[in-house]
Amino acid sequence: MKNTLLRLCAAGIVLLGSLVPATAADSKLIVAMLPKSKGNAYFISVKAGADKAAKELGIQLLFDGPTDSNAAKQNEIVENWITLGVDVIAVAAENKEGISTALRKAQKQGIKVVTFDADAIADARSFFVNQATPSGIGYSLMDEAARLTGGEGEFAMIVATLTAANQREWQKHIEDRLKEKYPKMKLVAVRPCDDLKDKAQSETTALLSANPNLKLVMAICSPGVPGAAEAVKQAGKTGKVKVIGLGLPNENKRYVREGVTDSVILWNTGDLGYLTIHAAVAVAKNELKKGAKTFKAGTLGPFAIEGDNILLGKPFIFNKSNIEQFDF
Amino acid sequence: MKHYFRELSVLGALLAILLGLAIFAPAFYQPQPLLSLLTREAPTLVVACGMALVIVCRQIDISVGSIFSVCSVCAGLLAARGWPLLLVLPASVALGAVFGAFNGVLVAGLRLPSIVVTLATMVTLRQGLNLVRQGEFVNLPEGIQWFGLGQTAGQLVLVIAAVVILILLALAMRHFAAGRFAYAVGTDAEAARLAGIRPQLVTFLVFVSIGALTGLAAMMNLAQSPQVQPLTGNGLELKVIAAVVVGGVAISGGRGNLWGAFAGLLLLACISPALTHLRIEAYWEKAIQGTIILLAVVADGLRSRKGGN
Repeated sequence: MKNTLLRLCAAGIVLLGSLVPATAADSKLIVAMLPKSKGNAYFISVKAGADKAAKELGIQLLFDGPTDSNAAKQNEIVENWITLGVDVIAVAAENKEGISTALRKAQKQGIKVVTFDADAIADARSFFVNQATPSGIGYSLMDEAARLTGGEGEFAMIVATLTAANQREWQKHIEDRLKEKYPKMKLVAVRPCDDLKDKAQSETTALLSANPNLKLVMAICSPGVPGAAEAVKQAGKTGKVKVIGLGLPNENKRYVREGVTDSVILWNTGDLGYLTIHAAVAVAKNELKKGAKTFKAGTLGPFAIEGDNILLGKPFIFNKSNIEQFDF
Repeated sequence: MKHYFRELSVLGALLAILLGLAIFAPAFYQPQPLLSLLTREAPTLVVACGMALVIVCRQIDISVGSIFSVCSVCAGLLAARGWPLLLVLPASVALGAVFGAFNGVLVAGLRLPSIVVTLATMVTLRQGLNLVRQGEFVNLPEGIQWFGLGQTAGQLVLVIAAVVILILLALAMRHFAAGRFAYAVGTDAEAARLAGIRPQLVTFLVFVSIGALTGLAAMMNLAQSPQVQPLTGNGLELKVIAAVVVGGVAISGGRGNLWGAFAGLLLLACISPALTHLRIEAYWEKAIQGTIILLAVVADGLRSRKGGN
């Protein structure tokens, strides 16, 4: 109850605040960006890119979200924005079905909707800014593994669980690429770590002692990368066995600095925020319509569009040369 | 001999696997990887000791995984603020003991079923931690990993510490009055009360003990890596309950000992590296562990039917 009151007050203040500049600088476009959770370092780094785009485009950016990953709270925030009458909403959906009802309601009120990071149901938004396709991730990981090992030798994989849908899909693309391009490389084992860094470490320790010729460990779940790195370090195989994986820069900086982990693959989160705001504004101004094949976003140049997905493009590789610049 | 049949059969199974590995995958026996794997199980052993105590008392504590996570993250944050290890360690143990005391008050004081009480603490602590940390790692300063000793020295310290705790607790449960009280309360709380034991106090203290041991285990885990994942300890409760039950501690209370729990833990823990070394697909890991647990429970069931108690 108290919470609702507070929120109403806050909405009131935002409303007042947005009215004043709106009359002064003849109705600046208002873009409302809704992350899964606003305190999360990942989304804070997305916001950095979004801020940059907002400044370039001269629009007003509202950035708000739940403090934890809370689907119901996301709906509340969208409802507030509908009342407020923003021009366009950009959402990273916590719950695909849950948020879509609120987004459809926004569309009925003439508010444009795009999604980023995590999509809603297709009819509840005009475009999804897709940060990484499964094949993009799989191919990048396999290519990087081949580059580091010179295209030959044994490698092993740490996955979150053997059955998780996204893991299966990435694994399939990695194996496709392996078969197609790197006949001299051999995947000797796939071990699950249950999303636990500690288990990833134990699994990698056993992998290293069971496979003396192992040249690389690839972890495709984020806790697996530092877990595998710690095992390689403890085994005294730094440099001899390479570590790569899908993960966050901050969790891996230490090992990258020490030369245990070679590459961490993800997307450039700042670019994701930048592209999302450019796309949102273009949709609001009716410059970006269904059927477009490419989209030019400010200084980042053209991005390909597949159906209604705007593709951020190839994943980004964090390594010794650039990882210190990122903080998430 | 017959009295320890359950413990000896677990030991037999463990030795059979170790022998199989010696024949088919001698690479398993390299000192460094083996020591690293044992060090990884040292914190689990300490929690398993506490769990054996709780189950002997005919209670259960499924909140240990969450207590472990919260203690790890809090200890990590204190260390990151520059607290010396000599203060972080007792702080973590004390925090664990406080959570244990909370469970203990609800179970012993209000006589609520321990599975429900600790389920509530488990979920609350886990979600609270998710809310506060959002999965973000805690990066530790230099000098925390291996207590600032070298890697091998640090690993030996941790393994030896776990084994010393095991021996002390095993002796205490067998020879000290307090230890015997736990068996008495677990066998028949009313009879224990008539014999002058205060069952509620014993139950309370048992929960405080597992909490404190979990706080200690969190520190032993913290010292193994330069960062703390807030999800650490997720599923720990199942791992230790399985180890304890496989090791012959009767879930109905009053029977079993820490040596069995130790053997049970090693048996379950060596399945995964054994599969890696024997090049068997990881799909089998949980199935094999599940089968071992099932066999243990069936063995207990058959025995209690034959023995009539």
